[in-house]
Amino acid sequence: MANDSSDFARSMAIATSGLRAQAGRMRVISENIANADSTSPTAGGDPYRRKVPTFSSALDRTLDAQVVTLGKIKPDQSNFRVKYEPSNPAADASGNVKYPNVNSVVEMTDMRDAQRSYEANVNIISATRRMIQRTLDILKT
Amino acid sequence: MSINDLPVLSALRTKMQWHQERQRVLSENVSNSDTPNFRPRELVEPKFDKTGAAAGSMGPLAMTVTSVSHMTPSGAASSFDQNKNAGFETRPAGNAVNLEEEMMKSANNQMDYAAVTSLYSKSLHLLKTAIGKG
Repeated sequence: MANDSSDFARSMAIATSGLRAQAGRMRVISENIANADSTSPTAGGDPYRRKVPTFSSALDRTLDAQVVTLGKIKPDQSNFRVKYEPSNPAADASGNVKYPNVNSVVEMTDMRDAQRSYEANVNIISATRRMIQRTLDILKT
Repeated sequence: MSINDLPVLSALRTKMQWHQERQRVLSENVSNSDTPNFRPRELVEPKFDKTGAAAGSMGPLAMTVTSVSHMTPSGAASSFDQNKNAGFETRPAGNAVNLEEEMMKSANNQMDYAAVTSLYSKSLHLLKTAIGKG
């Protein structure tokens, strides 16, 4: 067998790819939350548009395993929130201001989900480390 | 006869390799827990016959290396069958990974591995005792 000694290392590398993807997802979520009230700098213009991270599974040839990668970060095409605020500099001719299509509840649940997946990957890494430790313990006999 | 030819040691070694491979498969499942259309995978546990050789778990047409100059066929590393009977539920995005289930499997895998490595150490200790050095 060719990959015997590196099998545990492969497990760790796969879990690390999961950590990286979830961390990227957290970055996108924090960007959305931070911009929840960012209006357009020009009158009547479009405000910040919510971003949605995508995941894809890819074959890593050096590892010979399915790792996960953060794919394209796509814009959310749902409608903007509209408020009637004639005094706002971003208001259009009829006095309406477009606010970003960010829903803080959706972002919070997404964040919890990302956190949970991240923890699961961390658990896999510590389990693998304990298994490596057990293998090394054979040497002590 | 080398030390690795002892039935008990070779059976334990196969079992350890299986746990190692299973950890990789579980790690793949967990890291892809948010990938659309990803289905989790699982390995079939190897069964051993009386001589300690793995029986029935290997592929029906496994290639045998009869000469040292033979190259190992690609993809031969995973010689354990995949378990396709695993029950799962699929989310709307087509992802069927259940994190709780995978965590349970990983914990089980780790504990079983610890048991096998302990048995391996004990077997080695037994050998030492037999040759009068324990």
